[in-house]
Amino acid sequence: MEPECKRRKTGTGALLSWDVVPVLSPEQCQDVELLEAYAAPIFNKRETSRLVKELATVCPLAGLPHIKRVRACPDKLSPHPLEVLICLADHKAHQEVPSLDMLLAGAGPIDSSSLGRPFLVRIAARPPLTRQQFEKASRHWPTSFHEDKQVTVALRGDLFTEERKTRMQTYMELAIQAAVAGQAQGMEAVGAVLVEPDSGSVLTVGHDCRYGPSPLLHAVMVCIDLAAHGQGGGTYKYKDYLACRFVRAVSGVHPTAEEGGHEELPYICTGYDLYVTREPCVMCAMALVHSRIRRVFFGVPTPDGALGSRYKIHTQKDLNHHYEVFRGVMAHECEQLSNRTAGTF
Amino acid sequence: MGTEGGGSHEAVFHPSTQEIELWMQKAFDMAKNALDNGEVPVGCLMVYNNNILGRGRNEVNETKNATRHAEMVAIDQVLDWCRHNNKDPADVFRSTVLYVTVEPCIMCAGALRLLNIALVVYGCKNERFGGCGSVLNIPADHLPHTGAPFKCISGYRSEEAVELLKMFYKQENPNAPKSKVRK
Ligand SMILES: [Zn+2]
Ligand SMILES: [Zn+2]
Repeated sequence: MEPECKRRKTGTGALLSWDVVPVLSPEQCQDVELLEAYAAPIFNKRETSRLVKELATVCPLAGLPHIKRVRACPDKLSPHPLEVLICLADHKAHQEVPSLDMLLAGAGPIDSSSLGRPFLVRIAARPPLTRQQFEKASRHWPTSFHEDKQVTVALRGDLFTEERKTRMQTYMELAIQAAVAGQAQGMEAVGAVLVEPDSGSVLTVGHDCRYGPSPLLHAVMVCIDLAAHGQGGGTYKYKDYLACRFVRAVSGVHPTAEEGGHEELPYICTGYDLYVTREPCVMCAMALVHSRIRRVFFGVPTPDGALGSRYKIHTQKDLNHHYEVFRGVMAHECEQLSNRTAGTF
Repeated sequence: MGTEGGGSHEAVFHPSTQEIELWMQKAFDMAKNALDNGEVPVGCLMVYNNNILGRGRNEVNETKNATRHAEMVAIDQVLDWCRHNNKDPADVFRSTVLYVTVEPCIMCAGALRLLNIALVVYGCKNERFGGCGSVLNIPADHLPHTGAPFKCISGYRSEEAVELLKMFYKQENPNAPKSKVRK
């Protein structure tokens, strides 16, 4: 295993053999939920805007602002090119579609003379968040879509250039080296690196120390504490663990620099990126929320992992800080590290 | 090392009402003391065989480390005690109860679970970060690689705990946005 790992590392000019995959929120990943609704053809095209206006009053589609009221008839040969949504359906499979009069009974004043016989359609229950959801929803009924370009690009795997990926690889290689050094001292083979992304500077390098000063000193906690050391704080000592080190302080304005009482909040990782060889546990993932990390890149998932596997702490609703997560950086090498350890996270 | 639970993995603690009152009174005293000193009014203690092995208060500011919540500080004191008394932390935590005025956050709940703590008794809910039922339920969730599930007893002198937090954030900065709450 070792020699192959080394060979890969030396091939700097070679194509990078791994992909960076965004770990999206459950809402972004979920399947498109569909609701049943009744639609009807519009006989007289010129009546369309009046019908839309009147239907909006007598049959508002509450909670469905993303749904377009009118669509072009999918059957291009139809004599009536437009169709309009009447209302949501409470439809059972064996039932016949009610007549227009039944649907509009008691709804309010509306001239429905230019509407045809209603039929059943399906519409998306929620606004689409990804292009994939949008395409799927649109196959049933048109919906609006406010595209997050970055998510689309990330899902295509094109968010990072080869140059950026090469840089990621150098950070992850540092994390892997730290993991190996930690393992040589009896720790789990997990390493992490904290990076200031604008300058590209490495701030701290840490490895797992759970069999050292504290069983809670996972590699991520070490990196956070080392960053605190760099600011004149910190809690644990790492002199027995030479691979755990504070590399450099970032000059310039830092969010913790603000002096004065309780206003001085040590959101020590604001704006920083963390590279870690395997998916963090729930304690570490939440520690990164408290520290205000910007992005996390990890190599391989873990069974109880909190950034995609068991939880998605980085997109957890109700929390006051969220961060971006990508997996897959040097996945093969990180996988080999994980195989070297029998322990869990 | 005879403990009430006999040191077994399944040891479930049932402290008496008097015990809970006694230890929670101490936790509230700590929280009030913290408030008087301008610190986050959260008190917590780790009790093992009727001995207090750890007392924590938030050390986020002095360590410049946003993870130094009261629980994490108290955990380190228990670990120090284990070192000095040549005890296995795994055995000790399995017979230790945490008394804390506010529900532990998701991070601390994860830490407590990794250490196989026996029981957590807490005061008020932590709607923002709570990891023992409010935002997530770390002690009860299926996490086969993250220590052992633990029991919680919640709601003890809850209004009082909330009141202390309110007083702190009022004196801290009347205009401070809610996001400044860091417990
Ligand atoms: Zn961890
Ligand atoms: Zn906490």
